[in-house]
Amino acid sequence: MFKKILVANRGEIAVRVIRACREMGIASVAVYSEADRSSLHVQMADEAVLIGPPPAVESYLAVDRIVEAVRATGAEAVHPGYGFLAENPAFARRLEEEGIVFIGPNSRALALVGDKVQARQTMSEAGIPVIPGMKSVAASIDQCAREALRIGYPVMIKASAGGGGKGMRIVGSEEELRPALEAGMREAKSAFGDDSIYLEKYIEEPRHVEFQVLADNQGNIVHLFERECSIQRRHQKIVEETPSTALTPELRKAMGEAAKKALQVAGYNNAGTVEFLLDRNRNFYFLEVNARLQVEHPITELVCGIDLVHEQIRIAAGEALGIKQKDLNQRGQAIECRIYAEDPAAGFLPSSGKIVFLKEPQGPGVRVDSGIYSGYEVPIYYDPILAKLIVWAPTRRLAIARMRAALEDYVIMGIQTTIPFLRDVVSHPSFLSGETTTNFIPRHFENWQENRAGDEALQLALALAAFYELNRPPGAPPPTIRARDLSSPWKTLGAWRIGGKA
Amino acid sequence: MEFEFFSNRQACRISVDKKDGRFVFRVREAAFEAEIRLVSANHLYVLFGGRTYRVFVAEDGDRIYISLAGRTYVFERQRQEEKRFDRAEDGDERGNPVIRAPMPGKVIKICASEGENVRKNQTLAIVEAMKMENELKSPVAGTVKRIFVSAGDLVDSEKALLELEPKP
Repeated sequence: MFKKILVANRGEIAVRVIRACREMGIASVAVYSEADRSSLHVQMADEAVLIGPPPAVESYLAVDRIVEAVRATGAEAVHPGYGFLAENPAFARRLEEEGIVFIGPNSRALALVGDKVQARQTMSEAGIPVIPGMKSVAASIDQCAREALRIGYPVMIKASAGGGGKGMRIVGSEEELRPALEAGMREAKSAFGDDSIYLEKYIEEPRHVEFQVLADNQGNIVHLFERECSIQRRHQKIVEETPSTALTPELRKAMGEAAKKALQVAGYNNAGTVEFLLDRNRNFYFLEVNARLQVEHPITELVCGIDLVHEQIRIAAGEALGIKQKDLNQRGQAIECRIYAEDPAAGFLPSSGKIVFLKEPQGPGVRVDSGIYSGYEVPIYYDPILAKLIVWAPTRRLAIARMRAALEDYVIMGIQTTIPFLRDVVSHPSFLSGETTTNFIPRHFENWQENRAGDEALQLALALAAFYELNRPPGAPPPTIRARDLSSPWKTLGAWRIGGKA
Repeated sequence: MEFEFFSNRQACRISVDKKDGRFVFRVREAAFEAEIRLVSANHLYVLFGGRTYRVFVAEDGDRIYISLAGRTYVFERQRQEEKRFDRAEDGDERGNPVIRAPMPGKVIKICASEGENVRKNQTLAIVEAMKMENELKSPVAGTVKRIFVSAGDLVDSEKALLELEPKP
C-alpha cells in the first residue's frame, strides 16, 4: 500500500480524498493555488504545496507543477478527484512515464472513452445499445427520408460540425422532414460554414441513469447499481438519488451488465461510471463513460456500504477487488443535493465572497461532504460547488423528509446558495412521485423565486437584529462602509497579478 | 432604544426595551414580546408566541444576517444604494445607462469601443466568475460613451463597466 498520496484537486472533493487517506493510514499532500492558501483541503492535509497563481491553467491544470510537487514530497500516487486533470489522458500518461501511480484508469482506456465518437462506435460494436442514428453525414435529402423511416420518428437533425443547439431540429413526422432539413442545413451553414447534417433518434423526456463500476487490474469487475441524475439545470446535475424509481430488477440487471461490458471492451480499470439515457418505454442507450470518481458517488456508498475512494486507492495499489457481484445489494434510499455558491433567484449568478457563518445539518443518516467553514472566502476562480448534502433512509419517503429537514437546518450566511431552491425541488409533487426526467427543472422551476417570508417571521427577524445591535460588545468599532470594504475579497488579494501573463 | 435597518432597500424602524428579563419590541403601533438568550456569539435561543426558535446571527460590515426557521434575513445599517463606489465615473447622474458587473468576477472581453454605435441587445462585455461566463447586453440602441475597464480586470459586483448614450 502507498505511504503518501498527492491530491491534485481542491474544495470538497480534495477534502473527501484526504479523509480516505487518513482513514487508511496514508499521508496526504494537498496542492493549492494562491487563491486557496486558507482552503479547507490545505488545512486538512498532512503537507501542502503551493503550485501557482489563482487561474486553474497556471495551477490545478499545470501538469509540470503537479509532477514537481509529487517529486518534492515523495508521494507515490496521485488522486485527481473530479474535474481539472481527472480525465486528461496526457496527464495519466505523463504520470505513467514518471513511474507515479495515477489513481484512475490507464491512459489508453481514458483516451478511448474520452473520444465520444470512438466510444460510441466501440460500444455499438460490442452490442451495447446506442442512440439509433446515421453512421455518417447525409448525402441527400432522399437518403435522410429513408434513414428517418428506419430509425423511426421522432428524429433529431443534428449539425455534424454542431454544438450549442445550432442546426438542431426535432422532426415528428415525414411531412415535416424536408422543410426541417432545409432549415437545419441553412442554420448549420451560417453557424459553422458547413451544412453537413445527420439524423439521430429523438429521445423524448429521457431519464439520466448511470451505473457505477469498479474494475481491478486483475480483470475482476463489479457494478454498484445505478444513480438517477435526471434533475439537471443546463446539463448540470443538481439532485441525484439511488435507487432510481424507474428501474425494474430485470432492467437494472441488464443495464448493470451492459455497464460492465462497456468498461471491459474499453480495457478500463479503477472506478468508472457508464451513463445511459432511459426513454419512456424503458429502452436504454449508452451515452458516455465518466472516467473518474463522480461528484455524486456518496449516494452509492450509502446504499452499498462501500467506500469508493478506499476501493480506488486499493485498486491503484494493485490489490484485487474484495467484492463479488452476488454480495452487492442496494439497501434503503440515498439522495444528494449539490450546494452551489449561486443565487437561484437571480438566474443562478455566481455568488463569491465571505461565508460569515456556517452551520451544517446533522442527525441520523445525514452526511455533508464540505469544502467550507465559517470565515471562508469563496474565490471567483473555480467551480461554484461548496458542499454536498447526502442523506440515507430506509425508504424513499423518509429519505426525502430527511433531506427537506436537513436543507432547512443548513445555515450558510454571507453569500447566496442554492439551498432554498433545492428545498423547493425536493418538495415538488413530481419529485415525490418519482416523475423525474431531464425536463424537470425547465418545466417546474422556470424563473424560480423564493416564496415571500411571512409577516410574523419577518418581524421577529427584525426584532432579533435589534437585539443583536443592543448586545454589540462594548468598545466594538462602529460598523461603517469602511469596515465592509475591508472584508471585500478584493482587499485581500495581496500580491496577485491582475491581468498578468497567462 | 430605537434602531433603523434596511431590508430590500426599505427602511424599517424598531424600538426595543427590556422588561423583567423579556424584551419588548415596537414596530409602528404594534408591540410584541420575546424571551431571548444569547447562547454564544452567533447563537440565540428565542421564545416567541409560545414557540421556541434556534436562531443564528452574524454580521459582516454593516450587514446583519439572521437565520430563522430555515430562512436567512439580511438587514443593513445603511441603504444599499449609498454603498456604490466610484460614483465619479457613474453615468447615472447624466441619466445615461451604465452597464455594471452583475457579480464579482473577471472581465473576459469588452466587445465594443468608445464612440461605437451599438444595437439594443448587442453584447457589450463578458464577465466570468466560477467558470460561468455572463454576457452583458446593451439595454438600448445608442453610442458607447465611456469604457471604465479592460479585459483581464478583476471587478467587484456593481462596478461600472461602460456608459452608453442612448440614440435620441
